[in-house]
Amino acid sequence: MKWAKQRLAGYRSRHSDSKNIWFYIWRDKWLYLMLAPVITYYVVFKYVPMYGLIIAFKDYNVFKGISGSKWIGILNFKQVFQTDLFWLSIKNTLILNLFTLAVNFPLTILVALMLNEVRYPLFRRVSQSFLYLPHFMSWVVVAGIATNLFAQTDGSVNQMIKHLGFNAIPFLNNSGWWVFTYVICNVWKEIGWGTIIYLAAITGIDESLYEAAYIDGAGKVQRILYITLPMIRSVIIVMLILSISKMMSIGLDAPLLLGNTKVINVSEVISTYIYRLGIVKAEYSLSTVIGLFQSAVNIFILILADRFAKMIGEEGIL
Amino acid sequence: MKNMSVSKKRTINWGTVINYLLLTILVVICFYPFLNVVAYSFSSNRAVLSGTVTFFPIEMQLDAYKEIVHRGQIWTAMRVTVLVTLLGTAIGLILTIFAAYALSKDKLKGRKWISGMILFTMYFNGGIIPTFLVIKNLGMYDQLTSLYIPSAVNVFNFIVMRTFFREIPKSLEEAAYLDGATDVQILFKIVLPLSMPIIATIGLFYAVYYWNDYFNALIYIQSPEKYTLQLRLRSLLFAGELGAAGNEGLAQQVMAESLKMACIVVGTVPILAIYPWLQKYFVKGVMLGSVKG
Repeated sequence: MKWAKQRLAGYRSRHSDSKNIWFYIWRDKWLYLMLAPVITYYVVFKYVPMYGLIIAFKDYNVFKGISGSKWIGILNFKQVFQTDLFWLSIKNTLILNLFTLAVNFPLTILVALMLNEVRYPLFRRVSQSFLYLPHFMSWVVVAGIATNLFAQTDGSVNQMIKHLGFNAIPFLNNSGWWVFTYVICNVWKEIGWGTIIYLAAITGIDESLYEAAYIDGAGKVQRILYITLPMIRSVIIVMLILSISKMMSIGLDAPLLLGNTKVINVSEVISTYIYRLGIVKAEYSLSTVIGLFQSAVNIFILILADRFAKMIGEEGIL
Repeated sequence: MKNMSVSKKRTINWGTVINYLLLTILVVICFYPFLNVVAYSFSSNRAVLSGTVTFFPIEMQLDAYKEIVHRGQIWTAMRVTVLVTLLGTAIGLILTIFAAYALSKDKLKGRKWISGMILFTMYFNGGIIPTFLVIKNLGMYDQLTSLYIPSAVNVFNFIVMRTFFREIPKSLEEAAYLDGATDVQILFKIVLPLSMPIIATIGLFYAVYYWNDYFNALIYIQSPEKYTLQLRLRSLLFAGELGAAGNEGLAQQVMAESLKMACIVVGTVPILAIYPWLQKYFVKGVMLGSVKG
């Protein structure tokens, strides 16, 4: 027994009594060996690119490499900030993200509450399966389906609209309608998946609260308003903060695949702009400036949102 | 309590009826667009032209699928994607398990620093272009490795896995240690057999990511013979690759329409066939991920 205790103490111990660092490294050699490939991965593919960010301040030349290229200070930043397309892409990113959030966020909570009211396990499971389905489709497929539905001449939706005697709607070719279509596609894709987190939070609520409310004569709606929603308040706030802190990030796939030349004034967002400027035109320094600017704003918003959460008494995310 | 539930059943609760009705409509909205695509892919030229296809195929035929079998490109792309998905999922799982297991142990020196180093990349990273340059310099440009190595570990998946490992009772591992097991043996003989649900979940997340990945293939892949399914699908659906046959008349174009739909079906069905079976598990996985890391 005593032997076991000693051995376990050696296994558990964290802070050195008299033992030097080599004791721990030798004891946990297998764990460090497991970590080696992971650390290598992060250094090579995440931290070396961070070093590469310095080309934002250089006149990057492919042949001279990162360290060999000439420092030019903030000239790249000046050039980027003077480009109209840069500001347009930021405006579009914010608009698309904001509209998507405004529709998606309340709807997701609403659907979660509706699903939670379902008492038949089979209905619940099957409907959840179908609601999760779009999340598992790629944006290429979603864009293909959207074209099938929304194309101006032969899309199913427009055929129905024409059948009812109205004019076809340019869902994909008119700037205003395109924003609408973009939001619809995003909401369609993620609304079911988004409910999981709220359903999980609702499951954690103490049943006795509902029983007490029921005895006091509270109706279903009242129970939702006065028990469910207040109980998942912190989850709602954390999810809102997480979404707001992603306001400046936008995936490349959706705007690139849904967009076309006719709606480029609303579909050109930061990621597509970086792609066209950096990958297609090989303007490495300029596009890195945009990426760096985006990351800086992201971190700024994140810290701000986190402060705000802590101010109103929530846990925050950092 | 019994009386209450009985009296509840007798009256029709309109709120409940509306709730079920709305959810059913929502299910249809989520499923119909895909069902419509399936119906188109099986329908005859005439039906596709008339635009009357809705829920079910009209004048059922398999021409579009026969055409896919004849076109080698789609199969080549499918092979590439299957390969990338298998390798990416395997590598991703191994690295994620190793990282999560080692960093789930409180006793490990430097654990906080290494975890911090991983989590930091969630908030700040080099971005598209510097990463692109690194991969180019490593000679991975236009190689399939560029698809499954640079995004091998996902931070969210790492957090989920680590949270799961932390919840396994310490006493199990300590008992094994007393019996002379090393950390590697503990991982493989004790921890992993208890972790099959989470491995299935994270495996699904990685597999879906690689199957659906368009971004990396778009940026890193040049040669058509290395096109992934998503890249190939895009060029079939949007870049008018099928339009080349446009001169051959209307029948050919209509054929193109149902062929497009058949391509969507072929590219989606493998994932859609898997996820409902793992639903129980991934719901839990998302919950674990929401617990702060």
